Amino acid sequence: MATKKAAQKSLSLAPVLDLNEASSLRGKLTALRGNNLVVDASAVERVGALCLQVLLAGAKTWEEDKQSFTFAKVSDAFTKTTQLIGINIDHLMAKEI
Amino acid sequence: MDMNEIKEIFFQECEEQLAELESGLLRLNDGDRDPETVNAVFRAVHSIKGGAGAFGLDDLVSFAHVFETTLDCVRSNKLEPNQEVLKVMLKSADVLADLTNVARDGGSVDQARSKQLIRELEALANGTPLPTASAAPAPAVAPKAKPAAPAPVAEAAAPAANDQGFTPVAFSFDDFGGDEPEVSELPAYDIIFKPKSDLYTKGNEATLLLRDLSRLGEMSIHCDMSDLPSLDQLDPEAAYFWWKISLKTDKGEDAIRSVFEFAEWDCDLEVSKVGGEGVVAESDLPMQPVPFDLSALDAESDAPLGVTEEEENLVAQRDEAIAAAETANNVVQMAGNAARAAASDKGAAAAAAQNNAQQASSAAAPTIRVDLDRVDRLINLVGELVINQAMLSQSVIENDANGTSSINMGLEELQQLTREIQDSVMAIRAQPVKPVFQRMARTVREIADITGKSVRLVTEGENTEVDKTVIDKLAEPLTHMIRNAVDHGLETPEKRLAAGKSAEGTVKLTAKHRSGRIVIELSDDGAGINREKVRQKAIDNDLITADANLSDEEIDNLIFHAGFSTADKVSDLSGRGVGMDVVKRSIQALGGRINISSKPGHGSTFTMSLPLTLAVLDGMVVTVAGQTLVVPLTAIVETLQPEAAAIHSFGATQRLISIRNSFCPLVDVGRILNFRSTQANPVEGVALLVESEGGGQRALMVDAIQGQRQVVIKSLEANYTHVPGIAAATILGDGRVALILDVDSVVSASRGQSLQLEASLAAAG
Repeated sequence: MATKKAAQKSLSLAPVLDLNEASSLRGKLTALRGNNLVVDASAVERVGALCLQVLLAGAKTWEEDKQSFTFAKVSDAFTKTTQLIGINIDHLMAKEI
Repeated sequence: MDMNEIKEIFFQECEEQLAELESGLLRLNDGDRDPETVNAVFRAVHSIKGGAGAFGLDDLVSFAHVFETTLDCVRSNKLEPNQEVLKVMLKSADVLADLTNVARDGGSVDQARSKQLIRELEALANGTPLPTASAAPAPAVAPKAKPAAPAPVAEAAAPAANDQGFTPVAFSFDDFGGDEPEVSELPAYDIIFKPKSDLYTKGNEATLLLRDLSRLGEMSIHCDMSDLPSLDQLDPEAAYFWWKISLKTDKGEDAIRSVFEFAEWDCDLEVSKVGGEGVVAESDLPMQPVPFDLSALDAESDAPLGVTEEEENLVAQRDEAIAAAETANNVVQMAGNAARAAASDKGAAAAAAQNNAQQASSAAAPTIRVDLDRVDRLINLVGELVINQAMLSQSVIENDANGTSSINMGLEELQQLTREIQDSVMAIRAQPVKPVFQRMARTVREIADITGKSVRLVTEGENTEVDKTVIDKLAEPLTHMIRNAVDHGLETPEKRLAAGKSAEGTVKLTAKHRSGRIVIELSDDGAGINREKVRQKAIDNDLITADANLSDEEIDNLIFHAGFSTADKVSDLSGRGVGMDVVKRSIQALGGRINISSKPGHGSTFTMSLPLTLAVLDGMVVTVAGQTLVVPLTAIVETLQPEAAAIHSFGATQRLISIRNSFCPLVDVGRILNFRSTQANPVEGVALLVESEGGGQRALMVDAIQGQRQVVIKSLEANYTHVPGIAAATILGDGRVALILDVDSVVSASRGQSLQLEASLAAAG
């Protein structure tokens, strides 16, 4: 789990993460920069490659910032899509439970 | 462009594809073994499937898919397209057309029929004997799954239940083909898929493409993220990910490429076959295997098993909406696909044979789609222009008796120009009769099936062009006639053999242009009209008296009377007695004539002669009792100035005119139309010798001929009401309205009291 509890923010993802959502997702992530972030992907029904790019670019940026970036809960659809397109997010999954 | 418009374009393309499909199948049926024909047929089904998938038309997709699979067997020479195979395929083409119509207009299809055909198609693909209609359903039929993407049928090699209890149904024909190859022996392909940013902005989705790809077989994937910048440098709508994929499939490279069919200009795609065993070989990249069960990505997986039909429909509708939104651009692209294919050099080099063929066909005839309304408006305006030009000429002549030659020359040029414009505009509306003829092929197949007769339809002159309105209105009467020809005209195979003919009957449908009209002939090689039976029936129905002396031709024409049917039993197909009189009326409503000729034992021929256009008419302008009338030029055989010596009285009121040693009834048009109460003196007028339907000649008597010109037809029914004896109206150069004579009904009316019935019938039509 996150290290610095004081600066932890969370982001709940929308059910449909398609082309239209990519820009606003980037905006939301940018606004949360500098905080440890927990992303809740449990409501995601559909996610496209563009939003996954944004999320992974976010993870990369957070890593550079030395902040934590984790997925708390993920929906089945989200997991399956990442598997389908060959993205491994295991290292980004929250480690508790 | 809104969704409905895009959908409409899709359906228009469907129509074209279906026509392409049917003509291809018919060519195959005629023994054409050109691989390009098979490809064209395959492409047609494939395109329909692709488009239908984009709109979530799942019934259509699943049927098209099975059809396509079987066609693929033909394409890869695994299945010989013999008569039996083609029969199933032609029926499948019919069902595909039905499904398309249902998808467009609503309604329902014959589920049993399409299920049966799916089984037959599967049997063909598997090389097993054709199941009969009563056979138990094959173990796997089209699944009820309703994915929103172009390839809805889960092609998992092994079915597995997922945690939602949804069991994907394996749809590989190999499952019941018996000799399913070992997965590890499947050919393997290395695929590099690099989307460009355009792929996303055009509404395509890499995840969906990859999902479809994964359904082709066993897939491992590596996503290259090295291009991914940090968040602040990232363009959220640009493409950074690209994929290296290893796929083991028996579907072949074409199937792989077809997944990317609608995206291939927006991505770099490399597909290469890996030699040797299909191990994820020589790849030093960490490949992630893709699970078979991707059902969580399909919207329908939310729906529990055993959903009611209504719920299913709702899901389907939602899918449709989602899919539609997702792929809006996709389909627009589809419409422009052909044009782009031709333009893209890269496409030419890299695309599979399939796409090459698409290019070839698209290069052949560049066309645009124009709203029919616009064309009609143009035609109407040109009509006004012609009238205006005529009025202008007339007023110049009237006002300037010795008009200067330059004005006259200018006017003549204007006249020629308007005529040319008019011809060109009319040509826009002209369409080949091919689509109607193709629909008849289907009618023949169906009727032949029901009646148990073996029928071959031969068509000729399919490319003869005629006005779109005529074509549209031609289908119904032609269908009636074809039904009659097969049901009544042709004998059963046994009777045919007994009569020394081949068991297979032939129905021939031809179209040709003849002196400014289109002539459509429908002939069969059946038994011909049974005149004795017709005559007896007519007597029974009080149409003629028992002692009436009728020529063969007149007896044949009796079948056009309302309420006349010689079928011993009333069948579902025809024989309700409403057939031929409806046909005759429809043809007459089009300004056409229909004739019948029949030879006992050799069959019957129906000949329809129709105007090429319903918008203009070449007419002879005549004067009758102070009124100006227009007589269609096509009806006039010759004009003559009667001499007193040639006129003979006949009975109380009839008169005959002798023309070159034969007598012809003289008809006073003014009297028939009640323009005057007494008969005019024939010697003071002009006689127009006309040929009416049924071949009889009459001399129509008018007072004077004013001239001959092309007139623009204005419907009397639409603007006023139907007038017996008058077909339509027109506006003359001086701005006055002139009536266009309905020659056939005038001739009918002239036959006298005994056939008054027919006159009123004609008037009613």
